[in-house]
Amino acid sequence: MEQIISPIALYLICALGAAGVALALPRKGLAHTKDKAFQYGGAVIVASAFGFAALLMGLKASDAGNPMPNLFFYPFAFVAIGASVRMITHKRPVYSALYFIMTIIASCGMYILLSAEFMAFALVIIYAGAILITYLFVIMLATQAPTSDNEDDLTDVDAVAREPMLATAIGFVMVGLITAAMFGGIGELSSPKMTQAQAQNSVLAYLPKKVDKILDRAGLLEDGWAVSRDLDTGMAVMDPDARTIQIELAGKDDHGDDTVLATRTLTSEDWPEALAADNLDRLGFNLLNDHPIMIEVAGIILLMAMLGATVLARKHTELEDALKAAQARKLGTMFHDDGEPSGGQA
Amino acid sequence: MMHAFETLQLAQLAFPAEMNNSVLAPYLFVSAAMFCIGLIGFMTRKNMIIMFLCTELMFQAAGLSLIAFGRHHLGSDGQTFVIFVLTVAAAEAAMALALVVLLFRHRESLSASAWKELNG
Repeated sequence: MEQIISPIALYLICALGAAGVALALPRKGLAHTKDKAFQYGGAVIVASAFGFAALLMGLKASDAGNPMPNLFFYPFAFVAIGASVRMITHKRPVYSALYFIMTIIASCGMYILLSAEFMAFALVIIYAGAILITYLFVIMLATQAPTSDNEDDLTDVDAVAREPMLATAIGFVMVGLITAAMFGGIGELSSPKMTQAQAQNSVLAYLPKKVDKILDRAGLLEDGWAVSRDLDTGMAVMDPDARTIQIELAGKDDHGDDTVLATRTLTSEDWPEALAADNLDRLGFNLLNDHPIMIEVAGIILLMAMLGATVLARKHTELEDALKAAQARKLGTMFHDDGEPSGGQA
Repeated sequence: MMHAFETLQLAQLAFPAEMNNSVLAPYLFVSAAMFCIGLIGFMTRKNMIIMFLCTELMFQAAGLSLIAFGRHHLGSDGQTFVIFVLTVAAAEAAMALALVVLLFRHRESLSASAWKELNG
């Protein structure tokens, strides 16, 4: 497959983006209004360059008869890139953090377009709601805020960029190379291994109660009927590919034991529209069934991070020697010689 | 072009429909751009908090391409891995911010160049 857009256009767009970022990066000795104009102008140039590139790709695909990205993709991409440029170029850290929240919300929009609804909302809650608030706390704790709106009050730390030209050049050479490599190889990308029906319904057999509920709501289950369950695995007896489900009527036999009185197979014509695994079903099943170790690893990482953060951030208070000795004596009297606590009577 | 207007709907395509490479490419492009903007920010800014914020931006870009590839392959592995990335990002934020607070207490400055002697 040929390149999605020609490399020359791609490199020109990267150069334009680089010029925009270099223009917007903070520098010294500019008048306040001119500086603001540079920053906004730079962000708009970069976002337009990338928006232009995405549009070019879409139009090229449209010419070749391939589908284009959803129309909502373009504003989300524009906002995501523009806000991320504003984030790295803004002189005040609090505004940087707020622009990062904007980037996150724009990428959540793209997640929804990619039908990953759960991750989109989780991202808003975890990133915008938790991580970024922590950042804001630390920014406000650790920064001497300028007293007036005068930019001169900002320290050099925030007001001057380090090697802006070199860094921008390196960054955008990387964008060009990564994108050229990706677009060169995107034609060889394998098509999905599972069929569409499998992707949507492979999880359903593991969720017999959900199937019960949907069939009942669709009016396909009479009183006492339910989906047949495999006796060993507890899975629903169904064939998601052929769209057939086996249902059964449970009851008691002559000795009062549970038994199956009748079974019936629902064919693909009966298959209700609503009977499909949604994103959350598939994600939860994938997480817990296919990657169980990952949850353990994530738990250990979080525990270690909590311990580490507590150890790092605690205040080291210098105790005087006399006080330390008193403390040690106090601890010593709490224990008898055999190590048994004496009830805390120190 | 008109096709795009006619099919205005919330999701890119209803889920089990296959997503063409020509739809995947712009998402990957935006992801690459976001990643490199984060990289530029990490290299140019002197404020340590902003530097760590830029690593979060790079995480975010990686997450976007994971989700896009996951959608392309019709699986949930991409989304599962984004959960893991979120965990690592949260852990990293906690550690990094504790470190920043610790360093700030020692030097009363957020500048990374205040710790030049650590360069070995």
